Amino acid sequence: MTGSVLALLGVALAVVLPGIGSAFGVGLVGQSAAGVVTEDPDKFGQTLLLQALPGTQGIYGLLTGFIIMLQIGVIGGEMVPLTPEQGQAILMAALPIAIVGLLSAIYQGQAAAAGVGLIAKRPEELGKAIIYAVMVETYAVLALLASIMLIFGLQM
Amino acid sequence: MAVSKNKYAYAVGRVRVLETRLFDYGRLDRMLEAATAEESLKVLAESSYGNHFAEATGVHDFEIILSKEMAYVIAEFEKMSPQPEMVALMALNQDFHNLKVLFKCKYLGRQGEEPLLPPGMIPLKRLRSGVEEENFRDLPPVIRRAAENILMEFALSPDPQLIELHLDRALFEMKLAVAREGGSVFLVELFQREIDLLNINTFLRVKKMGRSKEFLQLALLPGGLLEEALFLNLLGEGLEGLIDRLANSPYGEIAAEGIRGWMEEGSAIRLEKLADDYITGYLRQRKSPPFGLEPLIGYLWGKQIEIKNIRLILVGKINGLPVEAIRERLRHVYL
Repeated sequence: MTGSVLALLGVALAVVLPGIGSAFGVGLVGQSAAGVVTEDPDKFGQTLLLQALPGTQGIYGLLTGFIIMLQIGVIGGEMVPLTPEQGQAILMAALPIAIVGLLSAIYQGQAAAAGVGLIAKRPEELGKAIIYAVMVETYAVLALLASIMLIFGLQM
Repeated sequence: MAVSKNKYAYAVGRVRVLETRLFDYGRLDRMLEAATAEESLKVLAESSYGNHFAEATGVHDFEIILSKEMAYVIAEFEKMSPQPEMVALMALNQDFHNLKVLFKCKYLGRQGEEPLLPPGMIPLKRLRSGVEEENFRDLPPVIRRAAENILMEFALSPDPQLIELHLDRALFEMKLAVAREGGSVFLVELFQREIDLLNINTFLRVKKMGRSKEFLQLALLPGGLLEEALFLNLLGEGLEGLIDRLANSPYGEIAAEGIRGWMEEGSAIRLEKLADDYITGYLRQRKSPPFGLEPLIGYLWGKQIEIKNIRLILVGKINGLPVEAIRERLRHVYL
């Protein structure tokens, strides 16, 4: 396998796994929110805010994939020829956001869905419901940071 | 089969809103403090029960309103739950109530003494044709067995209690079986507690009637956490013995208070209230998971308790009981 293929596998994983996680998380919160809005349509805005939270991991994954594509010249130029070692290094750099993005989006979805239950009962506590869900975001951001630092740190 | 808890996200979302609309003590107090039963009924009309008022003509029709509301809630829950059969279990006692009424009609000639309730899991038509034709093949095996036992023993001695005993046993046997089949440890543990509390009550009644150990064995429901032997061995002793034996069980406090109430007043009213409050508290502690069956079952129990409270208030008002006497019997709310 050439280095470029490994690097593209890194792009694919960085985009696909957090994307799956975010879809699951947003879907889960959507179900909870639909339940609440069935009984109380006024809660649409508040629940939408919570539903958006697990969506960020998918964006982080796409961002990472985009940066790798820029670095290896898939976008805006010619593809840089990569050695198998360079390709493996890029693949490794993509793994933090790929794996943490997938799992943190699922867990954040669960926390946000629980938050939907919270505001169903106490709409005035929306801020707290958001904070609980956002705590999970920390780890997705850390993984994104690690992935980006790795990619920029590699010499092409 | 067990299903993924995440499938409950929608249903739990709805329940979280519905929970907030259960009657709190404030609303029950307004019903209680109302001057007449008609005034109490007006408080009821302002809530979701108001939807069913068209079908009632006066205060004495309040049972129609209550049973319509419960039937509506169960139907909605069956629609939104990923495991409708688990929700329907909460209405299974209505089927068994109907079955008892039908049996008593056929074999004791007691026509229309007790009203039929809306069906839970089994269509009323199937129950009716089963009893009338003495053909129980279309009914669940548990019911078929109970019905055949009743018919057999009825031939020897037509004791109306046989109907009650066999059907109560079958009810809980079926509840436990469906809960196990659905993979819900939570429901199994809940039903075990219900069985224990009913068995304490049964023990007191059988002891008062002075019946034999064999009769007690038949009357006790199997499958609870407390062993049947515990009750059988205590039949010949004083009630203090039962209080001592239950002291270390989960029911220590309520058993002590409930049994003392039984000894003082000679009725199980106090014990029954405490038993209901125990289950309410048990479910309230378990309602927080954002996904799963627990909040649904908790709400349905809470609704049944609300209906029980409303019935206590309205019956008390119609019969002119003093407010405090009614208040004493009111169950804790699930909120």
